[in-house]
Amino acid sequence: MSCENPTTDPDALMNRRPKFDKAKTCIKCKIAEGNIVIRHAVYCKDCFFPLLKTKFKRSLEPFVNRLPNGPRKKALNPSGNLLIGFSGGLGSTVLLDLVHKSYFSHRKPRESGGEVEAVPEQQETGAGDRYRDPRQERVWKKAAVCYVEVAGAFPGMKDRTEDIQRIVESYDDFEFVPLKIEDAFNGEWWESVDQCPSSSLLNFDISNEELPFFQSDSTRLTPLERLHTYLSRLPSPTAIPSTIRTLTRLLLLYTAHSTSSSHLLLGTSLTSLSISLIASVAMGGGFGVSEEVQEEWIPPRSGIEGRKEVGVRVVRPLRDVVNKECATWAWWNGLTVVGQETVPGFKQTIGGLTKDFIIGLERDYPSTVSAIARTCGKLTPKDEAGGQCVMCQRPAQRGMEIWKQRISVRSLADLEEAPSGIPIGTQENQPSLSPYLCYACHATMTSKSSRANPSSTNGPKLPTSTSDSKTVSNLVPLPVWVTARLFGPADKVQAEDPSREGSGDALRDGEVWRNVELGREEMRTAVKDFLLDQDE
Amino acid sequence: MLTISLKIEFAGGLELLFSNQRSHRISIPSNPASTPNEPPKRADITYLIHWLKDNLLKERVELFIENGTVRPGILVLVNDTDWELEGEGSYELMDGDEIVFISTLHGG
Amino acid sequence: MPPKLCALCNTSRPILKRPKTGQQICKSCFFLVFETEVHNTITESQLFQSGDRVAIGASGGKDSTVLAHIMKTLNDRYNYGLDLFLLSIDEGITGYRDDSLETVKQNQKEYNLPLKILSYSELYGWTMDDIVAQVGRKNNCTFCGVFRRQALDRGAAMLGVDHIVTGHNADDVAETVLMNIMRGDIARLGRCTAICTQGEDTIKRSKPFKYTYEKEIVMYAYFKKLTYFSTECIYSPDAYRGHARTFLKDLEAARPSAIIDIIHSGEAFEIRDEVKRGQKLQQTCKRCGYMSSNDLCKACTLLEGLERGMANAGITDKGVKQLNAAGPTPDNLRTIPFFQMNTVGNSGPSPSPNPWPLDSGPSG
Repeated sequence: MSCENPTTDPDALMNRRPKFDKAKTCIKCKIAEGNIVIRHAVYCKDCFFPLLKTKFKRSLEPFVNRLPNGPRKKALNPSGNLLIGFSGGLGSTVLLDLVHKSYFSHRKPRESGGEVEAVPEQQETGAGDRYRDPRQERVWKKAAVCYVEVAGAFPGMKDRTEDIQRIVESYDDFEFVPLKIEDAFNGEWWESVDQCPSSSLLNFDISNEELPFFQSDSTRLTPLERLHTYLSRLPSPTAIPSTIRTLTRLLLLYTAHSTSSSHLLLGTSLTSLSISLIASVAMGGGFGVSEEVQEEWIPPRSGIEGRKEVGVRVVRPLRDVVNKECATWAWWNGLTVVGQETVPGFKQTIGGLTKDFIIGLERDYPSTVSAIARTCGKLTPKDEAGGQCVMCQRPAQRGMEIWKQRISVRSLADLEEAPSGIPIGTQENQPSLSPYLCYACHATMTSKSSRANPSSTNGPKLPTSTSDSKTVSNLVPLPVWVTARLFGPADKVQAEDPSREGSGDALRDGEVWRNVELGREEMRTAVKDFLLDQDE
Repeated sequence: MLTISLKIEFAGGLELLFSNQRSHRISIPSNPASTPNEPPKRADITYLIHWLKDNLLKERVELFIENGTVRPGILVLVNDTDWELEGEGSYELMDGDEIVFISTLHGG
Repeated sequence: MPPKLCALCNTSRPILKRPKTGQQICKSCFFLVFETEVHNTITESQLFQSGDRVAIGASGGKDSTVLAHIMKTLNDRYNYGLDLFLLSIDEGITGYRDDSLETVKQNQKEYNLPLKILSYSELYGWTMDDIVAQVGRKNNCTFCGVFRRQALDRGAAMLGVDHIVTGHNADDVAETVLMNIMRGDIARLGRCTAICTQGEDTIKRSKPFKYTYEKEIVMYAYFKKLTYFSTECIYSPDAYRGHARTFLKDLEAARPSAIIDIIHSGEAFEIRDEVKRGQKLQQTCKRCGYMSSNDLCKACTLLEGLERGMANAGITDKGVKQLNAAGPTPDNLRTIPFFQMNTVGNSGPSPSPNPWPLDSGPSG
C-alpha cells in the first residue's frame, strides 16, 4: 500500500483550487458582474434566483408522480396531499419559500410587509414553465407544514412553536400542524393519527445488551416524563440527538400518513445531507445509507380491518443546494429564519463532530461535500433486509447479533461455544427487543461512551428521569409505534419476522449472562491511561 | 486620523452575539497600523473582523472568529457581493461600504 | 466498597479497561480475548488452509510485530498447519529502515521463522538513495509508494507463498472507509472492508487484525513486552488521510464503538450494479505482467523514466509527454522482471536485468 504521503500520490492530496476560475463575470448570462460564488462558479444576482429554482424543481418533480416519467414528460399529478417537514432551520425556511413560490401562489408573503397582490412571476428558463399555467389547478390540492417542538426534552430550552407558526402562516395555503417530541410517547396522539392504541405499555431494560422488555403496569407517567426517562438513560451523549432525529422522523411520517399526504418534503441541503450520511456511517447505519437520501415509507400494518396503507415518499428537494446558496436565497428574499435550538452537549456527539468536520471542509474544499453525497448515491445495501427495525422502521440486516458476538468477546461463555446468534443473557421466555432492531438503533441504545454527559451552567439542560420505582433504574419506556408493533391490539406478541433467522422459540433458550455495570470514566489517549494499576 | 463609516449587518443568528442587534453603523480608522513600526495600510476586512471582535462582540468569540478569520459556515457579503469575489480578508474597505455577516449554522 | 473483579473471569483484579468494549479485565483475560477474537476472524472467513505458505508483511512496526507473534501463537495453539514466513522490504534509505530491519531480524530469532528481505536494488536496480540522487526530494515518494506495493507481491512470489498477511488494523480500515467516501473512490470503497483481497494476477492479501483496535494492539505489545520500532508518518494537513484520521480519533473519543460501527457500515453496502458496469477493467502490464489499468503499469513507467533520465515520466503530465515524445523504449534498458504467480513452490522470477524481450514499448 502506498504510504499516502501527499507528495507521492496525487490523489492523496485534496485539491485546493482557487475559489473561482478566471473572471468575475456571471458564467450564465456572461454580461453582469458576479455577486456570488457557488462551488467555483460565479453568478450574478439575477441569474442566481432562477438557477436555484431550477435545481429545486429538478430534485423534486421527477418524483411527484407515483411512477417515474417515461420519455415524454407528463403533467405533475401526485396521488395525495403534501406535507412539509419544518424545523425552523435555514433549509426548511428556504424550502417553504420555494414550494410556495413554485406551486401555490404568486402573492408575496405578508411577513415582508408587502401588500397582498399578484406579482408577475420572474422570467424563468427551463421546462418547469410548462407547469406554470395559471389556468391549471394546483399541483397539490392541500398542503400542510408540520413542526415538531423539541424544547420539552430539555429543561430550559425555548419553545419556538409560536415563532414558527408566524412564519408558516405568513404564507397563504399552508396549514400549520404543530407537534411535540413527547407525542412519541403519547397514546392519544397515536390515536389521532388513525392508529390502533395498544392496551399495554412496554418498558425495556437498557442495561442489558439484549434489551429484554416487559409489560408495564404503570400509566402514571406523562408522555413528557416518559420522554425524559428515555433520554436520560441512553448510554452515550451521541445517542440523544440521534434519538431525537429518529423520533422526529417517525412523528412526521405518521402525520403525513394521517393527512393523506403522498409526499413528505424536507429541507435538507447538500451540506446537511453530507453531514447526515457521514454521521450515519459513523454510527453503523451503512445499511440504510440510500434511505437517507430518499425513501418510500409504508406504515406497518395498523391492525385496522380493511384499511389499505398508502405509502409516503420522502423527498429532499434541496439536496443539490449547499448551505451557502440557501443563506443567499434567504438573505436576498428577506426571509426570516427562526433557527433551531442546539441540543446541549451536541458538539461532542458524533453528529456534532461530523457537522464541524464537514462545514470546515466545505469552506476550503467545496467539492468534497458533493463527492460525499455522490458516492453514497452509488451505494446500495449488500444483503436483503431481514425485516424492518421496530424503532426507525427502516430495513434491517440479518445476523447482526452473530456478527457482534464474533467481533467482540464479551463473556467467557462465548469462548466455549461457537457464536450461535442465540441471544444470551435473557431468562427463559423473556422476549427481547434486540432482534427487532437495526444495527444503528441497537448501537444507539447499547453503545457506551466513557464521557459523562455534559453539564452546562446556563442554557438548556439534559433531562433527568422520573422513575416508577427507585430500584428499577434501568427500565425505559418505548415509543408508541414500537409498542404497537410488538404488542398488537390482541395483546399478544405479534411482531413481524425478527431481523435474524430463527423462530420465536429461540428467544427462550439462553444462558444467564453476567454483566458488571460499568461506571463512566474518562478515557485518555495514551495506553497507560487504560491501566488501573501499574503492573511493572 | 481619517475614519470611514460602514454599515454592518448580522444575520442567521449572529446578531445574538452582538447585543441582539442586526444593524450597526460604525466608524473605523481608514489606515490603521498594527504596530508602531509598520507603515499604515488601508483597513481591510480582516482588520474589520478583529475590530468587531474587540468593540462589538459581546460573547462567544469562537462562534464568530476562528484562526484569524470568520468561522467556517459564515458567509460574508460586501456591498451585496460575495467576499470571495473581492479578495476575502484583503478587500480594502471604503467609506459607505455595507458588510453583511450571515451564519449558515442556525443552531444545532 | 469491595474491590472490583475482572468482568470476564470474575476472579482476578482488573488492570485495564478494554478500548473496544469498555470492560474492565485482568491481564490474562485480555490476552485470551485479544487472541481469540483474531482466531475468530481467521476461522470465520476461512482465510487459510492447512499447508498454506503465508508471508507476514513485516515492517518492524507495532502492527507487524504483534501480527508475527499472534500468527505464530495461533498457528501453534490451533494447529492451522501453516508455513509462516517473514517478508520485509528494504527501500535502501540510509538510516531509515536500519532500526526496523533490526527488529524484524529479532522477530525472526524470537519466533524462529524464515525471513526474506527484499531490497529495491535487488528488484528494480535502484535504491531510494539512488532515486533521490536522480530525481531530488520532491517526487521521490511517488517511486517509493508504487515500488513498495509491487515489492511485497514480488517478494511473496519469490518465496513461493500463497498468501500475504498485513497488520492493517480496525482503525486503518475505518479510516479508509471514510477517506474513500470523501474522495469518491467507489472502486476502493467496494473493496476496502473485504478481509481478503485477491486480484487475478496478485497474491491473496488478508488483514487478520481487521477488527482489532490499534490501541489494543499497543496494549498487547506493552503487556507482552514485545519490542518494536515505530516510524511515525506525518501527513500534511492537505492529505485526505490526515483529515480522516483526526476525525476518526474524535469519533472514537465520543463513542468507542465508532470504529467497529464504521467498518460495519462499510461491509453493509456495495456498489450499485449500474455503477459497477462503468468501472475501468483491470489488465496486466505488457512489460512485467503486474496488474495495471493501462498497457504499462506504474512501476514500469517510473522505472523507464529513471533509466532514460526523465525523472518526471509517470509523475507529471509534462513528464509523460516528454517520455512519449522521446520515442520508443530502447532495447537495452533495465526492466522489472516479469511477474508470475507461482503454482507450487517455484522460485519465481530471477532478478536480473532484461530477462524478457520487450514488445512495442509505451503506447503513444
